[in-house]
Amino acid sequence: MTATVTTAPRAPQGEGVSGGEPDLWCTYAAVRTLAWLDRTDTVADPDGTAAYLSGRRNADGGYAWSRGMLSDAWATFYCTQALRDMGRPVPGTEATARWLERTWSGEAYAMLPGQAPDVWATHFSARTAVELCDGPVPDRARLLDWLSRLQCAEGGLSWSPEDARRGKADVRACYYGVMAWRAATDNGASGAPPWDVAALAAWLRDRQGAEGGFRFAPAAEVPCLWATYRAVGALAALGRAPRDPDRCQAWVMGLRGPSGAFVRWEGYDVEDVWASFCAVGTLKALGAPLAPVADSVTARISELACPGGGYTYREPRDAADALTTAAAVLSAGPAAPRPDGVRWLEGCQLPNEGGVMYMPGRGSEVRCTLWALAAGAFAGDRAARHRIADWLAELQNADGGFGYWEGRGSDMVSTAAAVETAALLGGPDGPRLDELGLDLAGVLSFVDSCRTAEGEPFAHGNVPGAEPGLRPALQAQRVRLLLGPGFAPPAEAREAVGALLARHRVRGGGYAGEGNRVPDLLSTYEAVLAADRAQLALDTGHVSAFVDRVRAADGTAWSPLAPGSGGPLADCLGSLLARRLASGPGALPALALS
Amino acid sequence: MTSTATVPSPEEIHDRTRTVLATRIGDAFTDVPSDADLQKALGERYDSLTAMECISAVESEFGIEVDFVADDVRFWFSSVERMVRFTHERLEDTAALGLGS
Repeated sequence: MTATVTTAPRAPQGEGVSGGEPDLWCTYAAVRTLAWLDRTDTVADPDGTAAYLSGRRNADGGYAWSRGMLSDAWATFYCTQALRDMGRPVPGTEATARWLERTWSGEAYAMLPGQAPDVWATHFSARTAVELCDGPVPDRARLLDWLSRLQCAEGGLSWSPEDARRGKADVRACYYGVMAWRAATDNGASGAPPWDVAALAAWLRDRQGAEGGFRFAPAAEVPCLWATYRAVGALAALGRAPRDPDRCQAWVMGLRGPSGAFVRWEGYDVEDVWASFCAVGTLKALGAPLAPVADSVTARISELACPGGGYTYREPRDAADALTTAAAVLSAGPAAPRPDGVRWLEGCQLPNEGGVMYMPGRGSEVRCTLWALAAGAFAGDRAARHRIADWLAELQNADGGFGYWEGRGSDMVSTAAAVETAALLGGPDGPRLDELGLDLAGVLSFVDSCRTAEGEPFAHGNVPGAEPGLRPALQAQRVRLLLGPGFAPPAEAREAVGALLARHRVRGGGYAGEGNRVPDLLSTYEAVLAADRAQLALDTGHVSAFVDRVRAADGTAWSPLAPGSGGPLADCLGSLLARRLASGPGALPALALS
Repeated sequence: MTSTATVPSPEEIHDRTRTVLATRIGDAFTDVPSDADLQKALGERYDSLTAMECISAVESEFGIEVDFVADDVRFWFSSVERMVRFTHERLEDTAALGLGS
């Protein structure tokens, strides 16, 4: 443990809530680790796991984080790579390649069509295009030029050329940039790296601490396996080694827990899937033998399998996540005693990134941070709130918007979540919105860039150029109202909310995300929230008709057409809407999922 | 718009419903009995998006309008038989009220 650590990097205490469902990233990490160990014959319920992965495929050829969501580069790579690792056919790669082309900006890849490119997406999509779809990238020369502009003055790579100019180097960005170059150049056979490689390797090597592990960036508090794998992997792909490979290997082997599998930090008390993924990946990149850890890691991964296929990060019954836990706390009501769930959420603020993670050990995520704060986490903890504010200010992209987590391209739902989070960090006794170090004019600029140029007034998409929908349009107006009259006239925002609600009002009850035919829970929740914020009168009978339709004894459905209960998150939104209808404006927390 | 002067028989509605559903769902629908639960018989082929397309197709075929909140769409559009009953009753109501063109 280093002397600079102020937060013990232990697993959260308290009691979180597990949805009991597999998680896409965990499933990929489990399968990939078993493939590195040549143990894919031990994948639990291989048919169920393959069905879970292929079930994320959308009609457009891309894959989504969960069924019903939009395709993105992240999910597309993980699903197709895991299917390949399992030796299963990857269906319809021609259509996947066509979907990938829609995310090509002209010089690099974005996570979604229309979004600004970042190195996360560029890595995922370059590899999917070349290694899984057997095609070239659309324009290798322009991609290499874009990649070259990721290098910061200090030598490391950043998330985007704009972030490079701001000096935001990170070992993860280095890994993704290097691996994108490798994919685009046939493992380097068709072109040299487009960077000052000596400076890049030196910057990466400087991230190794005396104990042997690596940190994300100079400001990161503790070394971790995530940073170590990405740093060592990037160095190996460049034909280089860490400054002290032996100490690195010894440090990795020292992170084995009682089962023989790995933990992510020294002192952490859960052997989870990403720790083993990163440890095995590091050992492989170092050229170290994998046999000494193969049996124990394989056995531990088998404990993380979910019934019906797929994996989560630890034993499924204990695999709580921030959204489900916050949903349970919020559903219990404001008068309930401070529950163990709040304590668990507060434990999701771990070293190196000040926000709240979706699952412990993962990167901090802006929506999860908003849900946790809305559930009452950190209410009296000024130090923790300062850490969140600092993280939020660092998270803002050069275009003024926010992405899901560090380095991700901006989108409306994340941007609205970030501004709402900032507002919650303020409040009566806290700093004002303009005192939190955010570029508020930049926020407005990004929001305006999502406005649809032609067609119906006030239409916005989730990212610039995306199809318009009710939720991003209302999220834009919520941001405008929070920014205040110095940035956007409130009367104009109120007029926009009124026009949007009229356009998407469903005759029988509720609001539709597109047009005015099929109402859905998320759009109706957003509509009520926006109406309250804009101080517009709400036809509670009209909303009640919808809420009564989707709520039943066995839970709340996402829409009248969706099967059964939508799970804990839908139950939470349904309960909060019912509570708002009974108690009046101001009762609805600003929650959003998409 | 379908004439309301004469309401089609349940048999005719049945045949026309199967025809429009076959167009939307494809070959997988051919052997599905009319009393079968479509979600069980077709699995993810009859997800909420497909269900919406089928409802729109039935609306267009018979000139009726489905209210996604007031009508229990998950019940009435879960099998061909139920769709036929729903459509027949809606056409009869429309005719009785003289609302048709």
